[in-house]
Amino acid sequence: MIDLERYPREITLRNGVTLVFRPMGRDDVDRLWVFFQQVPPEDKMYFRQDVSRREVVQRWADTLDYGLVLPILALEGGRVVGDATLHRQRTGWKQRVGVVRVQIAPDYRHLGLGTAMVRELRHLGEKSALHYLMAEVIEEQAAAVRAFEKMGFARAATYRNFVNDQGGGLHNLLVLLYRMSSSADDRNV
Amino acid sequence: MAGTDYHCPHCGAELRGDPRRRGSRSGGTPGCPYDALAYAALRAGHDAVYFGAWRRIDAPPLEIRRGYHGIGRHLEAIGRELAGHDLPAAGRDLDQAIEAHRAADPREDARDALRFMDNALSYAHRAIDDLLHEKGLPPHQPMDFAEWYDVVEVPFRDDW
Repeated sequence: MIDLERYPREITLRNGVTLVFRPMGRDDVDRLWVFFQQVPPEDKMYFRQDVSRREVVQRWADTLDYGLVLPILALEGGRVVGDATLHRQRTGWKQRVGVVRVQIAPDYRHLGLGTAMVRELRHLGEKSALHYLMAEVIEEQAAAVRAFEKMGFARAATYRNFVNDQGGGLHNLLVLLYRMSSSADDRNV
Repeated sequence: MAGTDYHCPHCGAELRGDPRRRGSRSGGTPGCPYDALAYAALRAGHDAVYFGAWRRIDAPPLEIRRGYHGIGRHLEAIGRELAGHDLPAAGRDLDQAIEAHRAADPREDARDALRFMDNALSYAHRAIDDLLHEKGLPPHQPMDFAEWYDVVEVPFRDDW
């Protein structure tokens, strides 16, 4: 169980703006939906679900289970400007692997927010006794790749022409891994 | 690099330069640009190495050894600070910094030594940023303090 007592917590960006990080609640549907509406089409092309539909976001809120998916929102006042999620499995062979996803509002990019959210997920992953964090990124998303690498994620694999965007185009998928302190390799040293 | 090493009497930062020079921050202690900042000594310790002469293309072996030992002292200081925190990710970063530092032996192949020293310093920077993040503060930006050093190169900036 992840300790969520650290939330809400304030984070100051490089430009001096202070945001609040906290888990998504059931009342956040509209503000999260508005956030996704601001995501540029070129980024939406890579989404797994059609987040322009409110019912998709509503379904997330209705089925919130922090043990499986922990969404951390970055808020400026009542506006969502960043969304980072840690996905886990309670059982099975990937129960020690957390999958992370991060999305930043266009006007909040280049301020260090993406890096801060990855850093937050990394902290949560360490506290969750996970062995690995895994990020899947389209190769063209260079800034996201840099942010993950800056946080210690390493390129583990590249799947050529593996995923398609919403227009049908094929793209390379990068898999980046962050190995936790408690991973098997460390314990066997 | 001009000036001599000295410690800020207020924040403990290890600085190099002219102690009579006034800090760039309003109300800053004369001679200390890190005054009143969180983890001032760690920031200053990082930057003293980051902007050190060992990065010059024509750095003599003495400066490389000096940089190597400076990184070692810096990692020890980070370790002392982290001992009072429950930040496993930061501890991981420090471990990687120490591992890279151990791999850097300036007496052997200078090329590899410089690469490992650079890696060690990057991991150290990440550990400092981990500490700052826990306080809700933005990452340390060495270039904000570049005017205090004879900058030998301009590192790239991350922009996400």
